[in-house]
Amino acid sequence: MSSLSGRTARALLGVTALLVCAAARGAAAEAYKWNLPVGFPQPSVPDDNPMSIEKVALGRFIFYDTRMSGNQTYSCAACHKQELAFSDGLQQAIGSTGQVHPRSSMSLTNVAYNATFAWANPLLLTLEKQALLPMFGDTPVELGLGGMPQSELLDRFSSNPRYRRLFAEAYPNDADPITLDNLVKALTSFVRTLISGNSPYDRYINGLDDNAISKSAYNGGRLFFTERLECFHCHGGYNFVDSETHDGKLTPEIQFHNNGLYNIDGHGAYPPNNTGIFAFTQVPADMGSFKSPTLRNIELTAPYMHDGSIATLEGALVDHYGRGGRLITDGPYAGDGSTNPFKSGFIRGFTLTDQEKQDLLAFLKSLTDMEFVTNPRFSDPFAGEFCTGDCNFDRSVTVDELITGVNIGLEAAPLGTCVVADADGDGEIAVNELIGAVNAALSGCASPTPTPTPLGQ
Amino acid sequence: MLAASSIAAGAHAQSGFDSNGQCVGDADGNGEVTISEIIVAVNNALNGCGFVPITLQFRGTVGADTFTCGTVYHNVGTTKADIVPSDFRFYIYNVRLVTKDGQVVPLKLDQDHAWQLDDLALLDFENKAPPCGNGTTATNTTVHGMAPPGEYTGVRFQLGLPFDRNHGNQAIAPSPLDLTGMFWSWQDGYRFLKIDTAFDNVRVHLGSTGCVLGSNPTVVTSCARLNIAEVDLNGFNPASNTIIADLGALLANSDINTNQPNTPPGCESDPGDQDCDPMFTNLGLHFSDGTPSPATQTFFRVE
Repeated sequence: MSSLSGRTARALLGVTALLVCAAARGAAAEAYKWNLPVGFPQPSVPDDNPMSIEKVALGRFIFYDTRMSGNQTYSCAACHKQELAFSDGLQQAIGSTGQVHPRSSMSLTNVAYNATFAWANPLLLTLEKQALLPMFGDTPVELGLGGMPQSELLDRFSSNPRYRRLFAEAYPNDADPITLDNLVKALTSFVRTLISGNSPYDRYINGLDDNAISKSAYNGGRLFFTERLECFHCHGGYNFVDSETHDGKLTPEIQFHNNGLYNIDGHGAYPPNNTGIFAFTQVPADMGSFKSPTLRNIELTAPYMHDGSIATLEGALVDHYGRGGRLITDGPYAGDGSTNPFKSGFIRGFTLTDQEKQDLLAFLKSLTDMEFVTNPRFSDPFAGEFCTGDCNFDRSVTVDELITGVNIGLEAAPLGTCVVADADGDGEIAVNELIGAVNAALSGCASPTPTPTPLGQ
Repeated sequence: MLAASSIAAGAHAQSGFDSNGQCVGDADGNGEVTISEIIVAVNNALNGCGFVPITLQFRGTVGADTFTCGTVYHNVGTTKADIVPSDFRFYIYNVRLVTKDGQVVPLKLDQDHAWQLDDLALLDFENKAPPCGNGTTATNTTVHGMAPPGEYTGVRFQLGLPFDRNHGNQAIAPSPLDLTGMFWSWQDGYRFLKIDTAFDNVRVHLGSTGCVLGSNPTVVTSCARLNIAEVDLNGFNPASNTIIADLGALLANSDINTNQPNTPPGCESDPGDQDCDPMFTNLGLHFSDGTPSPATQTFFRVE
């Protein structure tokens, strides 16, 4: 104790006082608060997987944990990087064992509102079902967990004290909470929180800042919502999609479209490993039909299309949509997509002046939500520079946050309410961690805390 | 002596139906309880039903040779190719025995909480030894259950899974439906048959395709191609014969050295992958629509 500064000693006294307050407050389970952007409906959540702070906190660790791949090299974040709006920047995704995926990693922006998951799968209507695909699928191998006994995967989590506590508190009614089902439910609970609705466009359209977007972006937006360009039919509404669902919606809207990207044989064929929902239905008219992804954060999710075959937004606008379908002049996939017989009627082509093109690009870039891609709530909990006890990641520690930390230490509050109070990742809040939090409260969060311990170290 | 508890057990079905919805005492299911059915029931009460344990033996082979992980098998397919199989597992269900006078009786499977669940079972010939790394060390070469005593000369079963089991929630499914290697999540189902090879020159992944969701938008209610084969084997005495699952026979009409471009090696049940056609035929399936074609089935035989 002799090494403690006077300030720290006073802080410790404060902690003692807080213990008393903490006991009084207890830890009642709170209903989950979405904190949604203006104009966004409440996401639809399966009845058997209600949202909770504890599940979201656990799911964030799972999302970023390389325990989630067979060879422990990949986490979900390997292909869904926050700084790229949870896409990966690659033309085609590469799995944990090096296999190349026929398709491009999808952005996870606003997936809570997706009516279907993956690029073209009419069977995956919940994130809970979707999650099994990257985990266990082997054509191609993504996370590469297929074939691993469930017990081996789950042992990776149950051997870790932080996970033991996070699981137990996320599923308080389960005698054995570390199950595949619970793991998936926590993961999907976190992924549902990846909601983006604070772009310059949003701030402008919601009347929060008349100067949030440029005149050029404004003009581009006007163009976007015209029958001349027809963009908005497939990329409309609050999420710039045409296939969406949310809480209280009578039935999910599910749509897939052929946008004229290929026409290999003159009869509408797409590359055989990328035929869209035709792969499921075998209905000829479904050839090349894929989901319209959200345009939110589109600036960050290049390259574009289901197979990443268009490198830039300009290429997508001019060479593909402007032309009314892409022309491939040579190679195995040569053909004129504009004459694809199954093409959506809205892909009619248009001619843009240089200014109009710049305006449209400016509009699309006004959908980039920098808060979303830097929000510490969505960031890697193993790698970030977190401030001990700063539960809400606002770079300051308040008395309420100290109380939360104490309550977690007393096991009177779930660890998930403030995972950063557990700086060393052992699932407990020790006195030295409380001291760290008190120091942060007194001195601010200027200096980063030690990085929480990565797996198995 | 007629035990009082037996009478009570019968009487507890106040509705007149047992837990399977069968009219109690109506052994032949024709909606009537005849004197002869009552006599049989009384005899069963006095003497027990008299079911006997029956075990069906299976063996995985490549041609005449028993399958083991890591063995190189020669002369496979139309080009007499070499293969090194790295997985060899399949589900069957609805196992029935056929008596010498043509009566078909179900084999009521023991619920072993491992390989058998309800009326389905997983046969697993791989032991995880290289190159079968995606498998399990445990193997299973038998299906065991109870059936009336009798002289059996045939066996029937389906290669595949019952519909509801195939499309249940994999994350909570009990053994043997909890094997992640058998998950076929993109089709919201399981692989019924999983054959892989080292060097990946041929795969056979059989499962239902073209499935659609019903009014409950998270539950599959039908599939365009069930791809469930009906296997009917004669000359089979459970006490002395073995059911052979022969990879060599399955691939006999396939050219393993040539694969349809831009499709997975071999066959993953894609209706557009013509490599599947000869394999489906030998599994006893019409490749065109996934319906059974028992007469063309050569994958299974009796030894």
